[in-house]
Amino acid sequence: MVVGTNLASRFFLFTALLFAAPISFADSEHDSDLIAELISLRSAADSGVIRLDDDGVSRFLTSVSTPRPYSLIIFFDAVDLHSKSEFRLVELRREFEIVSASFIANNNGSDVTKLFFCEIDSTHSAASFHRFAVESLPHICLVDPWMDNLQDESGQMERGDFEGLAESMAEFVERRTKLTVGPIHRPPLLSKTQIAIITALIVISIPILIKKVLKGETLLHDHRVWLSGAVFVYFFSVAGTMHNIIRKVPMFLRDHEDPSNIVFFYGDSEFQLGTEGFAVGFLYTVVGLILAYVTNALVVYLDNWKTGYEIHPYWPSSWH
Amino acid sequence: MGGKQPEPANVSSKSESMATNKASPDLLNSLSFKSLKLKTKQQELLIRVSILGLVYVLAFIARLFSVLRYESMIHEFDPYFNYRTTLFLTEKGFYEFWNWFDSESWYPLGRIIGGTLYPGLMVTAALIYWTLRFLRFFVHIREVCVLTAPFFASNTTVVAYFFGKEIWDTGAGLVAAALIAICPGYISRSVAGSYDNEAVAIFALLLTFYLFVKAVNTGSLAWALGSAFGYFYMVSAWGGYVFIINLVPLYVLVLLITGRYSMRLYVAYNCMYILGMLLAMQIRFVGFQHVQSGEHMGAMGVFLLMQVFYFLDWVKYQLNDTKLFQTFLRITVTSAILVGGIALGVGTASGYISPWTGRFYSLLDPTYAKDHIPIIASVSEHQPTAWSSFMFDYHILLFLFPAGLYFCFKRLSDATIFIVMYGLTSLYFAGVMVRLILVATPAVCLISAIAVSATVKNLTSLLRTKQKVPQTGSMKGAGSSKASSKVLLDQSQPFQKNGAIALLLGVFYLLSRYAIHCTWVTSEAYSSPSIVLAARGAHGNRIIFDDYREAYYWLRQNTPTDAKVMSWWDYGYQITAMGNRTVIVDNNTWNNTHIATVGRAMSSYEDEAYDIMRSLDVNYVLVVFGGVTGYSSDDINKFLWMVRIGGGVFPVIKEPDYLVNGEFRVDKGASPKMLNCLMYKLCYYRFGELVTEYGKPSGYDRARGVEIGNKDIKLEHLEEAYTTSNWIVRIYRVKPPTNRL
Repeated sequence: MVVGTNLASRFFLFTALLFAAPISFADSEHDSDLIAELISLRSAADSGVIRLDDDGVSRFLTSVSTPRPYSLIIFFDAVDLHSKSEFRLVELRREFEIVSASFIANNNGSDVTKLFFCEIDSTHSAASFHRFAVESLPHICLVDPWMDNLQDESGQMERGDFEGLAESMAEFVERRTKLTVGPIHRPPLLSKTQIAIITALIVISIPILIKKVLKGETLLHDHRVWLSGAVFVYFFSVAGTMHNIIRKVPMFLRDHEDPSNIVFFYGDSEFQLGTEGFAVGFLYTVVGLILAYVTNALVVYLDNWKTGYEIHPYWPSSWH
Repeated sequence: MGGKQPEPANVSSKSESMATNKASPDLLNSLSFKSLKLKTKQQELLIRVSILGLVYVLAFIARLFSVLRYESMIHEFDPYFNYRTTLFLTEKGFYEFWNWFDSESWYPLGRIIGGTLYPGLMVTAALIYWTLRFLRFFVHIREVCVLTAPFFASNTTVVAYFFGKEIWDTGAGLVAAALIAICPGYISRSVAGSYDNEAVAIFALLLTFYLFVKAVNTGSLAWALGSAFGYFYMVSAWGGYVFIINLVPLYVLVLLITGRYSMRLYVAYNCMYILGMLLAMQIRFVGFQHVQSGEHMGAMGVFLLMQVFYFLDWVKYQLNDTKLFQTFLRITVTSAILVGGIALGVGTASGYISPWTGRFYSLLDPTYAKDHIPIIASVSEHQPTAWSSFMFDYHILLFLFPAGLYFCFKRLSDATIFIVMYGLTSLYFAGVMVRLILVATPAVCLISAIAVSATVKNLTSLLRTKQKVPQTGSMKGAGSSKASSKVLLDQSQPFQKNGAIALLLGVFYLLSRYAIHCTWVTSEAYSSPSIVLAARGAHGNRIIFDDYREAYYWLRQNTPTDAKVMSWWDYGYQITAMGNRTVIVDNNTWNNTHIATVGRAMSSYEDEAYDIMRSLDVNYVLVVFGGVTGYSSDDINKFLWMVRIGGGVFPVIKEPDYLVNGEFRVDKGASPKMLNCLMYKLCYYRFGELVTEYGKPSGYDRARGVEIGNKDIKLEHLEEAYTTSNWIVRIYRVKPPTNRL
């Protein structure tokens, strides 16, 4: 029996190859056209992320018979959700671009034409969202050459894969496509000119600073600076800034029923919004400082503080 | 400011001229004036002492709301453990207590009590108890425990008075004492019945700080020694001592940097640090942490730095050659820093010095806890503070604080630098965790007291001088140049005087609002024992639910003494203290796996849970249920935490199994796993027959406002043993395994 099925499957394979061969020959020209087109799109795009619309999806994916000569990894974006920080779309898209740019930079040769990074935006290409059965964002999906059913969940990048950002996305791509992405190139925090200007400024200011420090004229010697620092710490605490940072509170909310109505103050006493905290903290600080000013400026300053204590005679008196 | 300074000088010169002009009649006058002055001083002392006495009493009675409203009882959860250990201490004596191995908690692991608690609170209460007994006051130890917190709050006011006096003047001290006596931030953890470590710890904290500042001001060994003992008391009472051992070195460092190094500082810090450290090592729970943990290394570094400072001073004195000294200075400082760095690196790498704990990290980098230690982040008192909590707990002190800062900065001294640093660091920490408002409260009260006292003093002195100046001006008439300047002053006075009166009235209005607010907050928010629940009835009358104690006394009376009770960890301390039965887990959450096992049992199906319970020898299961009364912090509402904590250790428990589209439900739409897990079954057993609210179907859950989804619950391995009168606590007996034939 085993031998029989084996033979049968071989036979099917053979016939399939026989029929497939002419089709693939005919398609190869078309394929190379598509690849060339994708490459040109890629070189035109920022960081090599191609923006696909509904036509693009049908042209490069649905109308091309499997196996396609390339894989596409698609990031589903929604511009109108960028303002909502809980979706992390902006952040993830930036990481996606980094992976794309790194892939292009690290690979040259045939591998570059096997994988293309694309994005689809919901506002212009709602039909594609439907075609991929995208229900929630963020959604990243790899369409490998054999994938026929675009709603297939196997190509979907799982939440754990984009949790660690660019590195884990690259890992996912390498695992699925057997292509190498290589080391991730992150753009430096500051550009070279900025670094040069900053170093120049520091170099110029060092002698001046040293002179000032030696003379005792810096801001650090001014107690008003310290006072304002202290007041800032006070403001920082009482405004509940820590609460806002830890809970990642938005500055304001939009009313559920009426989106044009912006909510600044939250009803619950255990929770606050960003603007709310700052407004109240500012109020506290202003009132406190006015109080300090009024009580100090209007009245005579009477200082009857005992001048201090004797230094205890443990210090050998001959030292001074 | 400077232009107005001469006023007091004017007064003195005035009296001088008067004395020289009329010599003979003034002799009598001055004599009587002197005796009068002596009298005013005595009067002042009398007034001060009586104010302090009143504040002392006020601080005590303001905390008695809960005793008057309910009865003299211990509140909350942790205090029950403290009460139980105190009882043990008074019955068996100190050594038994110190070596106590408690087999009634954390079954089957047990807990070494002496080595895992801060004994300060229990020993304090026991000492008070023994003293009262010695004086032939035969009180019950429970009364002592209930009243320990108010008693120490009263003592704190006295310390606050002396501290205020040390930083500013006696007026500020009195105001500070009055403010801290009723400040809600402090009352929240020191009402009668809240028998917890913080009750004595805030007293110890403030005492240590006061004695240290006193030591720095005087350079006296005696005060430094006192401070070391204060520190020892603090270490024995509360884990918050870490704040002291980091704030004090930081303060010393700031003084060193700002060039305020003095012999006084040297004596104060070295004595306090060395003796305090040695004393703290006597507490078993703290042990050698002072030389081994990263959190305490700052203090040691500053200690060594101080020696370097002293040494350099000595060398400078010996050398007499500035150039040579400069080279020497450079070499010494570099090598000192190098050696210190290498020692720290080697210590950390070899594991001798432990790295910082998660709690410490979460204070410095507040987002750390959320990302790395969910069990810390989940506790409600570890939540970050919103602005409203500050307003609730500080009221006008919040506005007075910046004003006080302003005064402190205007008159910088070693003491004001300390209070400013204490205030700012603790206020920052208070922003990170709600419970740390408690630590910031003394500092906020002191700084605000400076603002109030300085303001009131300035205003009243302005009013007083005004009354005198016109009199003398008319007496002297036209003449010297002084008189003309006085006329000028006179012209600006009506405005100033009125302004001063208005401001004074404003200050008193604010202070009276503060008193009203504090009383209201204490009475409404901070005086409920949470072991006895109170609700408002339909006619505004107070309804008391005493189900917890009913259930615990039932356990004590009706179950075998060696019975093991399984419940969620919140109720562990109460069951051992009041029910006197062994529990599987309790509020000392040291073993996460054990807690997760209980969480797993609660969230499994009954037959799986039965195996777990058999393996833990559980005889009874206790659940807290609020569906009948509408009590919202019951086990169903805590259930997701059980699932999360259980799932954290046992991956078979998955949170999504209990949710429907990310929503937690108990009605018909709930997930099947939820409707059949042990917790659901135990809470809602027989609940389907009960009509809780008129016009609603049977099985209507009032805490969640839904009709439950599974009304026909059959228990296979457990049977209902007891349900309290309002169904808040339900106890089930685990059946023994059936015989296999």
